[in-house]
Parts: sequence; structure tokens; C-alpha cells
Amino acid sequence: MKEIIAIIRPKKVGATRDAFEQLGFPSMTATAVTGRGLQRGISGEVNVQYAPAALAKSISGGMKYVPKRLISIIVPDADVDVVVKTIIEVNQTAQIGDGKIFVCPIDDALRVRTGEQSESAIL
Amino acid sequence: MKMIRAILRPETAESVAESLADAGFVSMTQIHVFGRGKQKGITVGTIHYEELPKTMILMVVEDKNVDHVIALIKDGAYTGNFGDGKVFVSPVEEAYTVRTGTKGL
Repeated sequence: MKEIIAIIRPKKVGATRDAFEQLGFPSMTATAVTGRGLQRGISGEVNVQYAPAALAKSISGGMKYVPKRLISIIVPDADVDVVVKTIIEVNQTAQIGDGKIFVCPIDDALRVRTGEQSESAIL
Repeated sequence: MKMIRAILRPETAESVAESLADAGFVSMTQIHVFGRGKQKGITVGTIHYEELPKTMILMVVEDKNVDHVIALIKDGAYTGNFGDGKVFVSPVEEAYTVRTGTKGL
């Protein structure tokens, strides 16, 4: 099993969830996070009009941390590539700030209700 | 690659983030979390707080940079009191950039 952690734009969560559903992976965890990438945070990410006076006062002119959604989904080893490909396809906008995907190993899983373990717990 | 999860005091997280950025580790994710450690929260007067607000800094770095990043976090977050936080390191097998679809950090 692998955990796929994707940090994506908040407005793309719905489309990503629908794409997962099509693939047959309806279960996922989403967390509201803030973060920044190599660009040190960017402006224009949210539709907010900045007051010119406030903009002049700030050092970078943008925002330090950009609001994002962290999505965590656990899939069997064989399905990692197709899920990663789907996330990239759905979330690509060609603009900076599309996000990152990390794939981490998972040793075991447990379904609390039935006590099932490993792969039968996640499918 | 390794994922570094540092659970820090909210007031020190900002200076840690800045020192990491100065050292070239700009990319990171911040999550506001609640938790407790070995001291089971904190008691102030007659009030017991079960869980305390913390900030989790999540970043993925190359293997060779792990020690450097941990040292920077240690420097920035240290106050010497209970509640300075914990750092966890876990393996990451692959990383992708969504915009370009390329592999790697």
C-alpha cells in the first residue's frame, strides 16, 4: 500500500474527488493547509482586492502562505501510477501553484468497524 | 527523499520557516493542529488544558539535506521548556510537480 499525499488548489478538490470516484477510490482525507513553494508564496491566488496602501506597505506584494488543500488517499501498490496520473491531469492549469504529489509507503491499515487488516481494509 | 514533520510552538514556527527559507528550503506546508505530549497537556491554576495548539511544518527534502533541516528546526524552535515540539522523519518514494508532471522535487 502507498499513501498519496497531494497538495492542490482548494477549488480543484471537487473535480479531483469526482475523478477518484470514477477510478473507484471514493475514500480520501482532505485538510485545509497553508503553504508555499519555490516561488515563496504568490499573489493573485485568491480573488481579493488588496487596498493599494496595504500593498505598498507589504514587503513582497504578495502573500506569504497560500491556502491549499492537502488530500491523502491510500491505494494498493498497483494503482499508484494511475492515481498520480489522474491527479496531475485534473489539477494542471499551467499556472504556478498547481501543487505537489508525494508517494509514501504504508505498512498496515485497519478498518475500525470490522477489524479487517491491510489491503481489504482500504478497498 | 524524506518527509519532515515538525510539530512546533505556533510562535516559533514563523522564525523557523524564515531560517529554513534563508538556508534555501523555501517549500513547506503549515498545518494548525492540536495535541499533547508526555506532560498530558498543561495545568494553569485550576484549569487543565488537555490539548494545546501547535503548528505542524511539513516539508519534503532530499536525503542529504535531512540533518541540516533538522538542525535548523532545532535551533529555531528551542526554548528549553516542555512543549517545544517533536520532529518526525518518514520516507517518501516519489514526488511529482503537478504543473509540469515531472518527477522529483
